[in-house]
Amino acid sequence: MRNPSSATRAAISLALPIAFLALGCTPAVNVTTTRQTPSAASVPFRTDVNDALGKAQLRLVEVRVDRSPGGPLRAQVDVSNETSRVKRFSYKFGWFDAAGVLIYSTQSTWIPASVPPGGMETIRSVAPTDAAADFRMQVLRSQ
Amino acid sequence: MKMLPATSVVLASLAFLGACGSPPRYIEPGGTESVVSVGEVDIQDIKNAASKMLDSLLETGVLGRAKNQPAQLVIGEIKNDTSSQFDLGELTYRMREHLVNSGKAQVLTTWGSNPEDKIAQEELKSRSFRENNPSLGAGKPDYSLTGKITRIKRQVDRTHQMTYTFRLTLTDLSKSVEVWTKIVDMTKLGTKPGIGF
Repeated sequence: MRNPSSATRAAISLALPIAFLALGCTPAVNVTTTRQTPSAASVPFRTDVNDALGKAQLRLVEVRVDRSPGGPLRAQVDVSNETSRVKRFSYKFGWFDAAGVLIYSTQSTWIPASVPPGGMETIRSVAPTDAAADFRMQVLRSQ
Repeated sequence: MKMLPATSVVLASLAFLGACGSPPRYIEPGGTESVVSVGEVDIQDIKNAASKMLDSLLETGVLGRAKNQPAQLVIGEIKNDTSSQFDLGELTYRMREHLVNSGKAQVLTTWGSNPEDKIAQEELKSRSFRENNPSLGAGKPDYSLTGKITRIKRQVDRTHQMTYTFRLTLTDLSKSVEVWTKIVDMTKLGTKPGIGF
């Protein structure tokens, strides 16, 4: 194999740091918040086996549930992207009554979402009726 | 006769290619396997808009403040100002299904000069005449639902960006004031339709 010329070597030695710099300079959102402790409406959450968020390098930061002015519960889920690329996914909420029975609603559908690099997105859903007591959020990584 | 083998080869190739195409299958309506087109409103866009509209409507509790309970609605004009052809009932019926079936609202289909159900309105008029009761079924709805769907199109080389904006407004008919409004934007970027999102 032929050895690379000095010009090629110089080009490679210049190109590599520029490439690293370029990667380091990928625009990213800085998330600033004054809150140090979980919100009063914060609830414990469980991530199931097929961890689509984790696989998409997204982190579920906080889940909040409270009662909306209109009556039904509303949920907010904070998702952060700690990578240097925009992360896309789809999510779908399903709400359950106190007995754990799914409440059918046309609100429940797959909704595309994205989180900017280094940023955070709050995914929201409002329960279909006042009888809703719990919810499930499904996440699919975008194709 | 020399053409026969060549024709056979072409036909066999076409049959082979045809066999390689994907067979039709059922998918979840508006699910993540759906076709995503840049220049059209897709079923998932309508479902997404209806879902977010309902979220907002239920969250504000505006229907619970109506004089009648459940709140009485009349569906007014909803304009489609996009070039995409679809029935606006795709949006409104998804919302109505939830609001009516959950008992949050009732839709008056016999009200106004352009009622949704003309037969029911005629029957109501006829009954009102027979029973000499002019106020029969003449209840005034609490709110009218109107709206508009628009698009903003931009292009760079072969890449198209299309933003569809769904706007709905609820007007209190006793005060003629807007009591709820919601905008849902959807932006799609691409060169051609694709499958899945």
